[in-house]
Amino acid sequence: AAALKALKVDYPAVKIGKLSALKKGMPLEFAYPYPDVSNMLVKLGVEAGSGVGEGNDIVAFNQQCPHMGGPLQGTYKDKHQALGPCPLHLTTFDLTRHGMVISGHSTESLPQIVLEVRGDDIYAVGVQGLIYGYSSNLAGRRA
Amino acid sequence: MTEKTNHPSSGTFMQAPEDHIPLPPSDADVLTTACDYCTVACGYKVYRWPTGKQGSMAAKDNAFKTDFPHQQMFGAWVSPSQHNVVSYKGRPHHVVVVPDKDATVVNNGGNHSIRGGTLAQKCYNPSNRTSERLLYPMIRVRGTLMPVSWDLATEVMADISKYIIAKYGEHAWAIKMYSYQYFENTYAITKLGMTSVGTPSIAPHDKPSGTNDATGLDDAGINSFAASYQDWADCEVAFLSGVDPYETKTTLFTQWMMPGDKKFIFVTPHRTMGVAWAESTGRGMWLPIIPGTDTVLHLALARIIVENGWQDQEFIDKWIANKWEVDSGYGRGTRNTGWQWRTTWGTWQTDWAEYKDWIMKQKEGELATAAELTGLKAEDIQKAAEWIAKPKADGTRVKASFMLEKGNYWSNNYLNTTSLSAVGLICGAGNRPGQMISRGGGHQRGMMSAGGGSGWLSPEKYPGRRKKSFNLDRWMMNGEVRFAWVFGTTWTAAMMASQSLSDKMFKLTRGNPHQIHSLDREAIFEVLKQRVDSGGTVIVDSDIYPQEPINTQFADIVLPAATWGEDNFTRCNSERRLRLYSKFYDAPGEAKPDWWAVQKFAQKMGYDADGSYAWKDSNDIFEEAARFGRDGVLNYHPLVVKAKEDGVKGHELLRGYGTTGIQTPIRKRDGELVGTQRLHDPKNDWGEIEGQEMQRKWLYAFSTHSGKANLLKSPWGFKGWSQFYAAAQPRKEKGEIWVTNGRVNETWQSGFDDLRKPYLAQRWPYPMIIINPVDAAPKGIESGDFVQVYNDTVYVQTGMPQGVKEDDQNFDNLLKDGHIQITDGQFVAVAIVSEEMRPGVAMANFNYPQAPANAIVHAVPDPVTNNYRYKLGRGALTKMGESPYKHSFTSMSLKPRDIV
Repeated sequence: AAALKALKVDYPAVKIGKLSALKKGMPLEFAYPYPDVSNMLVKLGVEAGSGVGEGNDIVAFNQQCPHMGGPLQGTYKDKHQALGPCPLHLTTFDLTRHGMVISGHSTESLPQIVLEVRGDDIYAVGVQGLIYGYSSNLAGRRA
Repeated sequence: MTEKTNHPSSGTFMQAPEDHIPLPPSDADVLTTACDYCTVACGYKVYRWPTGKQGSMAAKDNAFKTDFPHQQMFGAWVSPSQHNVVSYKGRPHHVVVVPDKDATVVNNGGNHSIRGGTLAQKCYNPSNRTSERLLYPMIRVRGTLMPVSWDLATEVMADISKYIIAKYGEHAWAIKMYSYQYFENTYAITKLGMTSVGTPSIAPHDKPSGTNDATGLDDAGINSFAASYQDWADCEVAFLSGVDPYETKTTLFTQWMMPGDKKFIFVTPHRTMGVAWAESTGRGMWLPIIPGTDTVLHLALARIIVENGWQDQEFIDKWIANKWEVDSGYGRGTRNTGWQWRTTWGTWQTDWAEYKDWIMKQKEGELATAAELTGLKAEDIQKAAEWIAKPKADGTRVKASFMLEKGNYWSNNYLNTTSLSAVGLICGAGNRPGQMISRGGGHQRGMMSAGGGSGWLSPEKYPGRRKKSFNLDRWMMNGEVRFAWVFGTTWTAAMMASQSLSDKMFKLTRGNPHQIHSLDREAIFEVLKQRVDSGGTVIVDSDIYPQEPINTQFADIVLPAATWGEDNFTRCNSERRLRLYSKFYDAPGEAKPDWWAVQKFAQKMGYDADGSYAWKDSNDIFEEAARFGRDGVLNYHPLVVKAKEDGVKGHELLRGYGTTGIQTPIRKRDGELVGTQRLHDPKNDWGEIEGQEMQRKWLYAFSTHSGKANLLKSPWGFKGWSQFYAAAQPRKEKGEIWVTNGRVNETWQSGFDDLRKPYLAQRWPYPMIIINPVDAAPKGIESGDFVQVYNDTVYVQTGMPQGVKEDDQNFDNLLKDGHIQITDGQFVAVAIVSEEMRPGVAMANFNYPQAPANAIVHAVPDPVTNNYRYKLGRGALTKMGESPYKHSFTSMSLKPRDIV
């Protein structure tokens, strides 16, 4: 927990959605921490690691596969709270367990966007895990 | 961040994932290697540089010549799992181990699996779980392993070995070894066992006996590794028997088989991701077969093909041996062929004319009967036959290739492999591009035997005069093994009825009253003499990690091995591609490669008097071993000859081939080395042979006397199979189901590395068992529960039954004659309840020492081939309680594997 707190220090806090507007199983896309880094916010309907909201079931994840950078946009599977399979090599990710690989080739979990709820607003406040194509999530760039 | 949770036991510990990695600087050392794990052996590059510096994100300042960050698919990237810090020449160095982006073969463009993608994490680093590596030789004193010198360890081994060989004979001195962990090691080990000691008591890691794998293919004249990856790309239909290559041969599937519009037929009770994906794209069909019944499916397919005249008659007329050709051969007649070596009653061999009649008479081949026995839908069997054999509208044939792996040949070894070879052959597959019959492969091909096998010393024989291959497990169970040197295998967990084998080995070692109590060489010799004279056994284990129970409980002497990346090694992958696996960092502590330990022991035994163990480095062995592989499909002798002509070391010449390597057998043309893409292909016939090689007929024809393939019958009623299969059925009255075993993509083998890689250990902290809801619900089992699997009747074949009459080695007679002992077995695993399994069949992780799924499988080998029926376990399931993973957010996803 301490490590995760430290990790947040350098990240910007960006408002990405409203609790009242989220519908279970209907992902919303947003960019964070840079305009060209694509993520998805989803209310899973079941409790999840680092989930926020009343049911601890709202999570957000990066959408580029950490195997070889495949696009995961539009692959959310509500029945299993999973993202994937990646169109390149079929990796699937468990969004209830911090984006862990279910089956496939990514050598990392999907980077999880750390969320905070302030009133009805949902803020992205950090990234847990290295984003594909980066050597450091923050170095050399301004959010 | 404090994790909020509604569940009190949602263990939330997780290592914070890394959010940065160091990039290699432009002047980093670059070495090539290949993955250490599955048979595909993707090419990898190792970047190495001293700590204290790193490359920058500008392309001009890093070794990838790439600007970071980027969001480029297939771009250069290092994931945190691909970095480590190791010792090189005694100084700390960064290493980055990444799939070779420049690769033009195997994993073109840097494709990889999760196993290979985490190779960097297997390198020894005392700050992570690789700190559990064995670091020095040890001798067990009063139960505890104590560090000793290599000299004392090998002297003690030599003292007792000389005594045992003199008093009990070479039979009593055994080796249980990996067959794959590099040519340099396997050559040294087999030279010691076969040439110097001359013992028949040698068995590889995956069998009780040095016998065939896909035996029916061998007897048909088809090499198990005849195909190349290009063939799996070029076929239009892939018939995949007992395997989803996505799970266990990942890059072969994702790189070579997924692209295009090829169709897939998966025969397996487990709907894994490859199956689910192929079905979802309209390119695949799933045949969820009842374990053990593949032969019936093959009979039905062959019958449909023959009934409709869909066979490839042109191929059959040219390439299938006729009656005379079946019986011909070197003037010694039919008895010098594989199947006749095993039995002399003509059960198997046939020719096309007879086969046609025979197949129509097999009632198991009738569609309705076949559907009932296999548990498959009749229309699916019909459709599969159409896919592989029905000519297209324009009259041309579909290119079908046939892959088989352990789900096929580890359930019904002889019948499944003979029957599949027959289906493949009548479809015209076996010796041409995109139309091949091959194994998918498990381990890489790293066996280079020094030869001089002692099969004639086997105490077992078939009815008739033929010797049966030596069964080391049975020899151990009989108490005949006085000394065993184990190289890099779990032995017990990998073999059948593993708990009864384990119980016996405990009794013979730690259970014997004579235990080492001091480190005085003579005192050790005295106590070990008493041990073996009282019927006990001395076990030496060479490995890289503590391995339960072989070296944590049984072994008196434990030797630390140096492995991948710690010496220069060579081996081939499943398309026979030879590469150098470069040494790039220091082996930990006193760890030495196994060839070095063998050499040390051979010196203590006096076997080096003629200079035959005078190797200075692993290259010396590579060059020596080349001569012993000249007869085989892994022949790299011409490369060594060329290296000598060029005045360089063999390893160095091979290093120049990088991750591309060269496909064996290697030949020479116009002075250049030329590899072989596929075997049995008539295009390989060059006529005149250049250099020192001999013409090998199997290069351009089938591997038989006639050069034509043998069409083999496979009668379902064959008593060597049917009696056992009846006895092995799950028993309704006990509430049993089939409990088969296998692997998942994310971990390799027994997990010896993967359980110590942080990411993979988090994914799979404990072995699983996947159960259909239909079987789980009545027992109240949910995903995440600990489940015990228990079989109260595990058959173990004992004694050394001599075959005299035809039925002597079939199950019913063995039972009647007192050669079948009844034991029990159990294991506990974490349940994953999912419809991806066929109802009535559960699947557990294979070969995990802490949950030996093989404990519930019978140790009764196929009487024709001496191979176990590994996949045919059975057991009753009982919920033991909830595992900590049931409600965890951080460990062990319990989601199904077939989400598409």
